[in-house]
Amino acid sequence: MLEVRHLTKIYDDGTVAVNDVSFEVAEGDFLVIIGLSGSGKSTLLRCINRLIEPTEGEIIWNGVDLVQLQGEDLRNARRQIGMIFQHFNLVNRSSVLTNVLSGRLGYTPSWKSLLGRFSPEDLEKATQVLERLGIADQTHKRADELSGGQQQRVGVARALMQEPTMILADEPVASLDPVLAHSIMQQLELLNQEDDMTIICSLHYLDLVQRYASNVIGLRDGEIAYRGSKTEIQAMTDDEFKEIYGEEAERVGHGLEGELQSTPEAEK
Amino acid sequence: MSNLNDDDNIEQPKPSLVPPFLAAFVSLIIPGLGQILARAVSRGLLIFFGMGTILGLAVWRFILAAPRDKGALAIFKKALRLEPFLILITLIILILYIWIARDAYFAAMQIGSKPFGLSLLFLVVFFALGWQVSEINPVTILTQADDAWPALSKVIWPWERAIEYPEEFISGGANIRVPCTDEALAPTEPVDEAPYVISFPTCGELTAQDGTPGTNLTIIGYNFISGVEAGIRWTDPNLQTFRHRLEGDFVIVTPDENGEFQIDVIMPYRLLPPSRAEGDMIWEISAQQVSSVGKPQASQELKLAIEKIIETIFIGMMATFFGIILAVPVSFLAARNLMSGSQVTVSIYYFTRTIMNIVRSIEPLIWAIIFVIAVGLGPFAGTLALTAHSVAALGKLYSESIESIERGPIEAIEATGANWLQTVVFAVIPQIIPPFVSFTIYRWDINVRMSTIIGAVGGGGIGFLLIQWIRLTDYRAAGIAVWFIAITVAALDFFSAKIRERFV
Ligand SMILES: Nc1ncnc2c1ncn2[C@@H]1O[C@H](COP(=O)(O)OP(=O)(O)O)[C@@H](O)[C@H]1O
Ligand SMILES: [Mg+2]
Repeated sequence: MLEVRHLTKIYDDGTVAVNDVSFEVAEGDFLVIIGLSGSGKSTLLRCINRLIEPTEGEIIWNGVDLVQLQGEDLRNARRQIGMIFQHFNLVNRSSVLTNVLSGRLGYTPSWKSLLGRFSPEDLEKATQVLERLGIADQTHKRADELSGGQQQRVGVARALMQEPTMILADEPVASLDPVLAHSIMQQLELLNQEDDMTIICSLHYLDLVQRYASNVIGLRDGEIAYRGSKTEIQAMTDDEFKEIYGEEAERVGHGLEGELQSTPEAEK
Repeated sequence: MSNLNDDDNIEQPKPSLVPPFLAAFVSLIIPGLGQILARAVSRGLLIFFGMGTILGLAVWRFILAAPRDKGALAIFKKALRLEPFLILITLIILILYIWIARDAYFAAMQIGSKPFGLSLLFLVVFFALGWQVSEINPVTILTQADDAWPALSKVIWPWERAIEYPEEFISGGANIRVPCTDEALAPTEPVDEAPYVISFPTCGELTAQDGTPGTNLTIIGYNFISGVEAGIRWTDPNLQTFRHRLEGDFVIVTPDENGEFQIDVIMPYRLLPPSRAEGDMIWEISAQQVSSVGKPQASQELKLAIEKIIETIFIGMMATFFGIILAVPVSFLAARNLMSGSQVTVSIYYFTRTIMNIVRSIEPLIWAIIFVIAVGLGPFAGTLALTAHSVAALGKLYSESIESIERGPIEAIEATGANWLQTVVFAVIPQIIPPFVSFTIYRWDINVRMSTIIGAVGGGGIGFLLIQWIRLTDYRAAGIAVWFIAITVAALDFFSAKIRERFV
């Protein structure tokens, strides 16, 4: 259970990126945040795992206020929250394996990781995760040799290595084409439904929102402008979507319904 | 009246302060003043200072061409006569002068004229002056190319100088009794293998001071090396040896294919102290060959060059090594993204940058001179010089690559719960290693190249040898040094490209 209360973020230059935002996410929810570019989605997500320091407010997660955590406690909280990024944020020159293993850093003593050593269990787990995501054959390639879709799988794999109970995904499919977008979203859906992970994900496309969200909040200028349940979103028309979202609202494409079952192999 | 075309944008369309003719006239007296009075101030100032520079340079060249003459006119005439090129310069300056007046006239008329012609004239004058000042003379390249060829060919193929053979003197002699007595000296015993000389007769008279020629001896040599020139020498009773001459030239014989020769010689002057002038003396006549025997050896020059090229490479290496060690911490202080935290760090950033820029702008050769004064001649001075320059140059390149690292991976690693150290190791270092390696190799390359020449100012390495050999006009030895430098630089190019390929 995550409870965000009166969260505000004002950047040093005075930009109010998130303004008094409150919402709740139940365990096992798939919360989708929608909003125009610049509406504060990234800032909000980064405040939750404190990559950005909130200016005000509380973020209660399993009874603990994340905003108050420091040092070791903060890192221990972070390692249970996986994060996936729009631009994957892989270390390009490191191998896929190293990128994936770095998801274990929160569990690895400094001296060991400095030597680049990970436990056999971690290695075993990395192999499993890579297999699960269908990129086992890419293990020893450099991260930047992979295609966009493969790179995002590495990003997901890195998050999974943390054995997280919650995943934050900041426009995870915005840099990918529609088929790949669905295949990554399906992975998140699996994690949500089979592994009971709570997912908070910002998205751009209405059809993806309708397809995957169990709850939706809409941001506009850093404030919550819309809240909806799964049924409410299903019923939403393009016009209503544009209402919250603005004129830029778009769909991935209707013709893709048949390809939703696309497997990772379909990428190659 | 339109000043649409006027390039002086600052100008308001106000009328000129003076009529056109006056403007032109004033500009003839003080170039540019006419334009200023016509309210084309910036153009006028430009002309004034441009013309001032040109006249200053011209006066200097004239005085230089006729340094001993007094009086402007005398200097002018003499210089024009000695340096015909100055006539051309004078003409162009005159045209420019008139053009400036013309320009002032049009400026006062407020007829916009493009400053194109004027700029072109200025350019031409500066070009002509530059031609004269740098003493450009294409003809010499053609006429003197031939003179350079002998030296150049030695530099291009110096390897004769790289090997030498140990030399051995081979000689055989016969004793001559002076003067002849009843007791004849036995002729030389023939020997196997070793060379020997037989003289007929075995006694004789020396050439006298009054010119009476001495005895004519027939000398036959055996067992010499065929085809190798042998010098004929005398050894007097005091064991002084001198070469036999015939009409001033050294006498040289060349043994035939059997290693034998025959020659007639007249006994030389007696050059003995008076005390030994009388009595029975034994002289020796001998033939001496110089032969190269044994295996070829590396010459002294080759050994020196090898020694110094190794020194050179190590100077470059040590300078790079110390450069890296010092540049890494410095680069962190000079990276804007790391130092933008507070006023203090920002001022450290600017301080470091400034020092680095100053150090970098001083050429390694100048640093070498400074360090030669500080620590004396030798490779240490060279190493210090290159280190100083490397720290500044690498520091700048490193700090720029630190400034350009991506924030994304760092944030992603932080999000996994990694601590600061882990974040640096997993997200920062992988990003800066490739540019660091690349810049370091590049610097190593430069340092070795530089270390080949800092020797010229006493900073150690092969440059010193090169300069010395060139001064001694030993072009073959210099050629060896040039070859070594070229090979080293080429090898370095090759290997640094290979290493860079692997890391970047
Ligand atoms: N580091 C920053 N400093 C100042 N302003 C920022 C910074 N990052 C984002 N902003 C501003 O905050 C607002 C929200 O940005 P962001 O959270 O990135 O929105 P979104 O992810 O929805 O596009 C924007 O106006 C953006 O310009
Ligand atoms: Mg964003």
